[in-house]
Parts: sequence; C-alpha cells; structure tokens
Amino acid sequence: MNTLPVLSIVALTPLAAAILIGAFGRGTQLPRVLALVAATICLAGSAWVWATYDRAAGGVQFVESVRWIPSLGISYIVGVDGISVPMLALMALVMFTGVLVSWNVDERPRLFFALLLLLVTGVFGVFVSVDAFLLFFFYEMAVVPMYLLIAIWGSTHKDYAAMKLTLFLFAGSALITIALALVYWQVGASTFDLRIWAGANFPPGFQRWVFLLMFVGFGTLVPIWPLHTWSPDGHVAAPTAVSMMHAGVLLKIGAYGVLRLGMTLFPEGLRDWALLIAIIGAINVVYGALCAMNQTDLKYVIGYSSVSHMGYVLLGFAMIDKFGLQGAVFQMFAHGIMTALFFALIGYVYEKSHTRQIADISGLMSRTPLVAAAFVIASAASMGLPSTSGFVAELLVYVGIIGRSPLLAAIAFVGVVVTAAYLIRMLGKILLGEPSQAVERIVDPSPVRLAPMGILAITIMTVGIFPATMYQTINAGIEPLLTKLMGG
Amino acid sequence: MADPTVALTFLAPEIIVALTGALVLVIDLIWIRSTDAPNTPRPWLAYLSIAGLGLAAGAVIGLAGVQTTLFEGIVILDPLSTFFKLLFLAIGMIVLLISVDPLPGFSKWSAEFFALIVWCTLGNMLLASAAELFTIFLCLQLTSLPLIVLIGYAKRDPLSSEASLKYLLLVLVSTAVLLYGMTLVYGALGTSTISEIGKVLAEQRLTPVLALGLVLLLTGFGFKITAVPFQYWVPDVYEGAPSPVTAFLSVGSKFAGFALALRIIVTGLDIPLNWHLIFGVMAALSMTLGNLGALRQTNIKRMLAYSGIAQAGYLLVGLAALSEMGIASLLFYTAAYGFANLLAFTAVIVFANATGSYEISDYAGLARRAPLASFALTVALLSLGGLPLLAGFMAKFYVFLFAAQAGLIWLVAVGVVNSVIALYYYLRVIWQLYVPEGSLDPISVAPRAGLAMSVCAVGVFAIGVFPEPVLRASQMAASALFGG
Repeated sequence: MNTLPVLSIVALTPLAAAILIGAFGRGTQLPRVLALVAATICLAGSAWVWATYDRAAGGVQFVESVRWIPSLGISYIVGVDGISVPMLALMALVMFTGVLVSWNVDERPRLFFALLLLLVTGVFGVFVSVDAFLLFFFYEMAVVPMYLLIAIWGSTHKDYAAMKLTLFLFAGSALITIALALVYWQVGASTFDLRIWAGANFPPGFQRWVFLLMFVGFGTLVPIWPLHTWSPDGHVAAPTAVSMMHAGVLLKIGAYGVLRLGMTLFPEGLRDWALLIAIIGAINVVYGALCAMNQTDLKYVIGYSSVSHMGYVLLGFAMIDKFGLQGAVFQMFAHGIMTALFFALIGYVYEKSHTRQIADISGLMSRTPLVAAAFVIASAASMGLPSTSGFVAELLVYVGIIGRSPLLAAIAFVGVVVTAAYLIRMLGKILLGEPSQAVERIVDPSPVRLAPMGILAITIMTVGIFPATMYQTINAGIEPLLTKLMGG
Repeated sequence: MADPTVALTFLAPEIIVALTGALVLVIDLIWIRSTDAPNTPRPWLAYLSIAGLGLAAGAVIGLAGVQTTLFEGIVILDPLSTFFKLLFLAIGMIVLLISVDPLPGFSKWSAEFFALIVWCTLGNMLLASAAELFTIFLCLQLTSLPLIVLIGYAKRDPLSSEASLKYLLLVLVSTAVLLYGMTLVYGALGTSTISEIGKVLAEQRLTPVLALGLVLLLTGFGFKITAVPFQYWVPDVYEGAPSPVTAFLSVGSKFAGFALALRIIVTGLDIPLNWHLIFGVMAALSMTLGNLGALRQTNIKRMLAYSGIAQAGYLLVGLAALSEMGIASLLFYTAAYGFANLLAFTAVIVFANATGSYEISDYAGLARRAPLASFALTVALLSLGGLPLLAGFMAKFYVFLFAAQAGLIWLVAVGVVNSVIALYYYLRVIWQLYVPEGSLDPISVAPRAGLAMSVCAVGVFAIGVFPEPVLRASQMAASALFGG
C-alpha cells in the first residue's frame, strides 16, 4: 500500500528516543523535548494509520516482514487490523498526553523519560506484532521500565506495589512462555507467524488447556479477579503519566493478548471456558465497583473502577457474538481514554494540593472550572452516559449479554448502578461546596497541563457522538474472528 | 590418521596458550632481576597474556573447518570443541582484563596470577577436545590445580584461604570419585576412548559394576557444573575467592564441566536409562534450590553463587531435552550466560574497589555515583533474569522451547516459575542501585574495567537482539556431536 514503514516508525521511534536520551539527555530540557518529539511522531504515524486503514478491505494491513531468526522461523512481522488500529491510536494519545503531563518531572528526568519511552515501545510493539514471538518480546520489554518508574517516582507503598506488579506480570508471562512453546510444536511449521497459527487446526483438548494458559497469563494483566490485586496498588503508587499508561493502555495489552493469542487461535477453548470468563467478568464488574465505593483515596477509586470496567471487556468476550466482541474492543479504547483522563486530573490535583483523600478535597468547581468540567466528562464516560465513548461501549456489551443471558445482564447492571453511585458521590464531594484548605492552592492549569486534559476529553466526546468510524474499524477487525467463532 | 607433526599443527591454539603462560613467567623473572622496584604493577604482563590468548583464538578460527581425531582418538577437533575453545578464550581474556591489578599489595606476584589463569584456560580448552577418559583426567587436573592457588591467592584474607582449602578438598574428593569411576568403566568395557565406549555399551548389558562406574563418572562432573546435589561448595568458595577468580570459576570452570559432560553423555552413554528424567530432576532441583538460596543472600557474591547454581539448572534443561536442538540451546545459553555473568562480576569489582563492600545494602544509590557501572550490573542481572533485548531472554526461550519439544512440559513449568523467583532477587539489587538516595561522589571506573564491561554489554545486547549467528554456531556444534 505504501512504502513508508509507518508501523516500525511508530513502534521503534520511542526506543530510538530512549537510547538518545540515555546517551545524551543531560539537564531537564533535552529529555522532555526528545520525548515530546517522539510522541508527536508516534501520534502522527498512528493518525496516518487510522486515516488510511482500509476498513472495507479489512484484514492485516501495513505489513512489513523481515527475517529475524531464520533458524527458528522467527520473523519481524508487523501489521495492523481493525482491532489494533484503535489500540495504536489509544497508545499514541496516552503517550502524547502522558509526556505533556510529565513535563515538570524534575527528579532524574533523563532516566524517567528514557524508561517511559522504553515502556511505550514495548506497548506499541505488542499492538503491531503479527509474529507471536515478537509480540511476546515486546510484551516483556514493558515489564522492567514499569518497575523502575513506579519504584523511583511513585508514591504510597511504591516499593511494595512495584514489586508486586512486576512479579504478577512476570508470572503471567511465565504461563505464556509455556503456551507459546506448546503451540509452536503443535503447529509444527517452524513459524511464529500468527496468520499461519490462526489457520492451524488444534485438537479440542489442546485448545482447552492452552487457551486457559493464555487466558490466565494475559488475564493477569487485564486484570481478572482474583489476580487483580496488583492493579489498584500499582495504579495508586505509579507517577501520573505511568498511571495513565498503566490503566489506560497496559490493561488493554492483557485483553488484546487474550483476543489475539487466546480467542483467535482457540475458538473451541473459548467456548469451553466461556461460562467461567463470564462469571469472572461479572465478578470483576460488581466486585470492582463495590470496592471502588469504599475507597477514600481518589486514585484507589479509579483503580478499582478499572477492575470493574475491564469486567465488561471480559463479559463481551464471553458472549461469543458480534455485539459482545464489538463492545469489548470498544470498551478497551473507551476505558483507556477515560481512565487516562481521570489519572491526569487526579495527578494535577495531587500535585497542587498534596492530597488525594476525598475527604480533604471539596469545591474544585469554584477554584478551577476547567478541571471540574473534565472530571464530569470522565465520570460521564465511566458511567456510560450518552454522548461519551463509554456509552457506546457499554451499550454494545449489554446488547450482547441480553441476547445470551438476561440473568447475567441483571447482575452486571448492578455494576452500572454502583458505578453511578460512587462516581456521583465522589463528584459531589470534590467539585461542589466551599473550597477546602487543600484546594485553596489550586488554580486553572497552565496550557501544557491543560492540553492533555482537553485532548482526552475531546476524544471521549468525539468518539461518543460520532462512533461510526470507530465502529467500522472494530468491525473490520473482529469480522474474521467472528466467522471463525461462529463457523467452528 | 595424521602423522604427529601434522597433528601438532592442529594443536597450535593449545601450544600458543601454553607458551604464553610460560613466557609471562619468564619475562617477569627477567624484569624482576633487572629492577629495583619489584612491587610496581605490571599491567603489560596481563596485556601480553591477553594477546597470547587472542592469537590462540585466531588459530582456533583458522582451524575451524577441521574435523578430525588425533593421537589414536584421544583428542578430537570438531565444531563443538571450536565453540567451547572460543568461549574459553573469550572468558580468559575478559577475566585477565578485569584482573590487571588483581589485589592491592600483591603486584609482586601478578605474573603468577596471569599465568595460572592462562593455564587454567588451557586446561578448559583441552577438556573441550579430550575424547579419552585418562586424557580427560589429566586435563581436569590442569584446570583444577591452578584454581586452588588462584582461589587462595589473597592469602592474608582468611576467607580466601578457607575457600582454597575447601576447593582443594573438593578437588581431591571429586578426583578420587572420578578416577574410581573411570577405572570401573575401563575394567568393565576394556576401552577408554569415548567413541569406543559408546560402541561397546550399545551391545552390552548394564552390569552393576558398570553402572556404578558411570554414576561415579557423572558425579565427578556434577561438582564441576555446580548442579544440585553437588553444589554445596559453591557459595563459600565463590565468596572467598578473589572476585576475578570467582568470575572465572562461575563461567569457565562450569562450562568446561558441560563441555566434557556433553561429549561423554551424547557420544558415550547410549544406554537405556531415562536420561530425560535424571537430568530433568537435577535441573529442577538446581533451579529451585539455587533460586531459593539466592533469595536470602545479602552478599552479592553469594547471591551470584546461588544464582549460578540456578543457571546450571537452566543449562541442564537443555541437556535434559537430549536432542540436537536441546544441546544447541544449551550451548547458546553458555554464551549468553557467560557474557552476562562476567558483566555482573566486572561491575561488582568496580563497586568493591570503590566501596570496599560486597554487601547488597551498600549498593544504595550507586546509580547516581556510577551510572555506567550501575547500568552494566542492571543489564547483566536482567539478562540473567531473562528479559528481552538481552541475551538471557533468547537463551531461556530456546532452552524452554526445545525442552517442550522433548515433552518435558513439567520441567518448563518449573523453569518459568523459577524465573519469577529469580527476577525478585535480581530486582532487589537493581532497586538498591536506583531507588535510595545516597551520596553523590562519582565513582571513577578504570578504563580497563570500562572496556571489559563494554565488551560484555555489547555481547549481551548483540546476542539478545541478533541471536542468529551464535544460534547457528551452536547448532553446528551440536550437530557435530550427534553426527559423529
């Protein structure tokens, strides 16, 4: 289609920038400027992919393929389909806004931005890989930068949270290692090319157990209950930009992995475990929401709300039908943007007021109407109100669930109610009333800090009001999967 | 069969190495006679040794295509021996580079230090080529005896002397066991060349005497490769030995054990025993006990010692697969592990020179004082932990991949779980380096140490990102073993 290796540019620019920063990034100015340049390149590249991906044709596009480790049939193959295109856009947006949010990081900025960009390369790489080994390679690249980012620049039990998160993710990838080795020999074609893997026929027993390995391995990252405990701790401890990336994008890698390496390869396996996934999804939704209700720290509220919202993704997966899948992928995008906005806002409030306790914050509306408005938009998306991206996502998932199991829909609906309850309560407390002492110091953010909030809020509204393009993209992506799931 | 003079040209690398050691000693004697200050450091002696090993490496490469046996089959030249010889020479050169000034106050005897390392390397190289039991025995002595002296080199340090004595006892015991095993095997089969043993064994039933001989033989190697249950000596000796010697022990000596074990097991031991299970259990125990032991360590050298036991376990996973590609993955692992471990030890030496401590808690905040050395240690530990962009990721993946091919899923499961445990204690060190605030006085890194770290780091990254050449070489070496 075109000769410019746009996907490699998107995936590897952050790596190049990280190396440059590591080698030459003295002072505070150079690292952040380089990071912003890299983020801009990635954003432009992702936008280009978004604009020119041929939705009517569907399938894997922008393919680049280079032989990498021929003795084992491993190749560097990148490409995107309708599922990865929105993920790429999500990551690019979160990266760009994350760099802006971190503009004022003055503690060891060189190391900070180098690690941040390394993390970003890993995430981009996962979304563009068409080779299972390459995907896994990128996935593991994200682990250690995350650890150091939280351990050095984090807050609240950061050492504990960072280690817990890293070990959970690594334990998940341990399962994935086993699964990859099993699939490689089962296919027996000396290749890790996912397109060939997807065409292979796996025996039912094999599908059942390897799917489970993949589901639990990647699911740790989703995070599935009861393996979710690292996630709220991690969100809370991480510095703002990392929380944004972490909740916004990293959780999606988990869901994306389940989709790509689990469901696509093993439709039988998915059917075997659909009930379990649905139950776990419902628990995620309700339990996450109830936990969020009980939190006093703003970041913990959003941390648990992520557990709850990712439950919808699982529910969508478990429905094995068109609406469920569409809703799940839509939710991956919607939740990513929404939660990134939340963390950007909380990060700003915390930086100025040095507290995240709901009890200490009130009257934000009168001090800084812009931040307050952004809080409302994010909450609206979180509650799934119309005209936000969250509405489309949750609607699709519900349509999927009701078609299958009204009981499950009723249970999951409890989650919606509880979500509304804790968010409205939180909004009422922190936005309304007289400004508390902590809030006195807060003013409207500077343009550099306002821009990320604006970009994310506008994305929520745009996708919510004009969901058609996103819908078509996702549709193009899940079409082959759906045929396979239905046909088998 | 080549005539003896031609045969000697095939041994050119070994001869060069042997002469290098002698030359270093002689030149040093002449120099000491002609000077009034015998205590001045003589780094040029180390450079001379390195040059000698480099020359030998050139000779090995020049002979790379040769595939033959010499002297009635007691020495063999094949891609496997080439692979290991290059590895041993590389290790020897890096160790010499980091021991240019081995210990403060010992400059007077530095020539002996270098010469012993050179000869120890010679022993390792010969082991890679030895194909007959009593030749193997002699070569083993050639590597072990210099090590006893090297480990006790810091003679004013009680830990060093203790380590040396422990190693001496270990060598005595394992030598006795090995020799006993060899005589039993020879007595039972009437031959001592490995290929003949293989042929005779294929036609013979396993008698108790023979079985005992084989078990004793393997026990002898077990000590060398530091696998469970032969690992007890490792932590104390690694801790007490001067650091460059520990570095040398942790890779050179261990790989020599593997070089030997591979040849004997694959070529010689064609008997109906469940080797998958035997080596699988050894691997699982080594990984698990090594990693659990490392969890509790507060001293970096002891931690690396336990981690080395665990790494021997990962290497054994490749052996347990007992397939051509399994062995290839083992060989690949040795290269990856070698660079990473030497890198780790170099950084540890840099820190020890600056802080005088091997306690992990004294590493607090070193990243700000010595950013490059901290980065080097981080890279080394993450490679040992098996993270991507680094050699260890590829190595672990291959080992597991081919163990899975052999159906050893349980072993892969044990291995990956162990990787998680290992990451915990590696990350704890990295945490110390990067997270706590500490003093900001920069630590100066000697150019030699910087060079050694750069070479190793380049190796770790190169193997981690473009593994194909090393993988090719490993496959060639492994297939020679199975083809021959």
